[in-house]
Amino acid sequence: MQLAIRNLLPTYFDQSVTQTSEIWGKELLFDKGEMIKIVAPSGSGKSSLMNFLYGMRNEYNGAISYSDKNIRQFSLEELAAHRKDHVSIVFQDLRLFSEQTVRENIEIKRQLNPYHTGEKITEMANRLGIGSKLSSRCSTCSYGEQQRIAIIRSLMQPFDILLLDEPFSHLDEKNSQKAMELMLEEANKRKATIIFADLERIDYFPFTRLYHL
Amino acid sequence: MALSFKPIRPLLQTGANAWSRWFSYIGLGIGVLLLLCSIQMYINIQQLLTEGSIRKNGFDFVSITKTVTNETMGKPDKNLFKQADIDEIRSQPFIDGVAPLLPNQFRVQLSAGDIIPFRTDLFLETLENDFIDTIPPSFTWQPGQETLPIIISSDFFEIYNVFAPGQGLPQVSKETATGIPVLVTCEGNGQRQAFVGKIVAFSDRINSVLVPKPFLDWANLTFGQQKEVEASRLFIKTKDANSPELLKFLDKKNYKINKDKTILGRNKIIIDSIFSGLGVFGILVVILALMLFSFYLQLVIARSKDNLRLLLTLGYSPAWLSKNVSKKFIPVYILIVLFALALTQLMQWAFHHFAMYNRPELSSFVHWIVGIIALFLIALSLFTNYRLVKNLLYKLN
Repeated sequence: MQLAIRNLLPTYFDQSVTQTSEIWGKELLFDKGEMIKIVAPSGSGKSSLMNFLYGMRNEYNGAISYSDKNIRQFSLEELAAHRKDHVSIVFQDLRLFSEQTVRENIEIKRQLNPYHTGEKITEMANRLGIGSKLSSRCSTCSYGEQQRIAIIRSLMQPFDILLLDEPFSHLDEKNSQKAMELMLEEANKRKATIIFADLERIDYFPFTRLYHL
Repeated sequence: MALSFKPIRPLLQTGANAWSRWFSYIGLGIGVLLLLCSIQMYINIQQLLTEGSIRKNGFDFVSITKTVTNETMGKPDKNLFKQADIDEIRSQPFIDGVAPLLPNQFRVQLSAGDIIPFRTDLFLETLENDFIDTIPPSFTWQPGQETLPIIISSDFFEIYNVFAPGQGLPQVSKETATGIPVLVTCEGNGQRQAFVGKIVAFSDRINSVLVPKPFLDWANLTFGQQKEVEASRLFIKTKDANSPELLKFLDKKNYKINKDKTILGRNKIIIDSIFSGLGVFGILVVILALMLFSFYLQLVIARSKDNLRLLLTLGYSPAWLSKNVSKKFIPVYILIVLFALALTQLMQWAFHHFAMYNRPELSSFVHWIVGIIALFLIALSLFTNYRLVKNLLYKLN
């Protein structure tokens, strides 16, 4: 699946940002399997970009197209199918069901379009160091643990593009690296593109292209 | 593996405002019960009053005569309806049709042949087919035809059965009577001819012995003296035989109305209206209950808004979610309607058994239409639920 961005600019941004940004107001094409790093300081519209790409918000001018189809033309059902089969995301604000257990949170995503078996949840949780938390309610988990839950959840489905919005903001270097390794492995299995937006460069993400927002 | 709703169910906060849910369940139950009972009673009334109804297509049919007074006594021309009288009656706005009951102008004798030793002088009348309540297809006659179809009044038939034993005659059922051929002999103008009469129907509306119009027209010409036949009775078709305008007009013209036959029809209308009213009330209660339930659903969705929105964000299809959220209530709806149907069945059994003493016109079981309506109500509740949930979820996205 190819992702094309044309002259994208949030309606609430001034046109002048297009002069300094390498993404806003530009024409970009992301092919299958590319590793895209987007470095963006606070307030530069990083989460807005991720939300636009995921079809969550549409207060922008310009166009976002997946395989030549403008995301604005997706019906709600098509958008749901698109999220189920082609695009996965780790939100900056995580978006977990706080009253459900860790396993239930991941399982809700997995059953939608199972790429992995249920056992894989345990395996990944152990690998990221939250194996003992699987039966705990999400609300009792620390922010760092919740971040790892959101990461595992995003890997339960098939995808062509994985969107990461500051996925390691509450993780230490070691845990971030482990999580990154897992995501890279999973993306390689699917030959998927990763679009990784963060405040600064991270050495253990082997990007093929780097943009400043 | 099919997508399961089980892990989703706890995300819906259905426990909130349980009272509003229970109120709507009870309301729906009462509404459905009222509606089903009214329909069943309406059907019962129709079945009970099918025989004996003098109303046809929403009209009353009544006969009128001129009042015979001491002054008009013995002067047939004063007591008969002229064409001008008929035209005047027809022109009244509250009258929808007039037809004269034309009598025979010759001697008629009836005998039952060898089967029953019975012979009597008889009168025959004829009336336009539209005005007769029971018209079988065999009620026709053509010149040269020897069989003569006859419709007689149910009252006459009952009178015969009352007096038959005293006269040494056998009592007969309606079914047997329609099978017995009778001999109708017409005499006049020096001619005499016998026809094989056959009772083809009984009329609850017309107190007479009716034969097809072509027959009487021919027979009056053949055996009768007078060229023009005048009617002493008219049948009128009106929307309401009790309307004050009609009664005022008849009084003014000194015409007499035979109203006995309208009483049953009137009662039926009143009872029908009562049950129609109850039915409408039932429909209103059902609508209210569905509305109350829709408020409850809106509340559930509003309270579970964040969870539902997250499910949509994760890639759950709004159509799938709507279907499954509304499916959750299917067993409750089916249970409510089936419970109401069971109570209606109990009511029908009790009504048939205790109030109607197992009359054969009725059944102890609910009519199939009531069952269909029950199914329709289940489908309607599910459909309105589904539409509502779907709309709400689409708004969330």
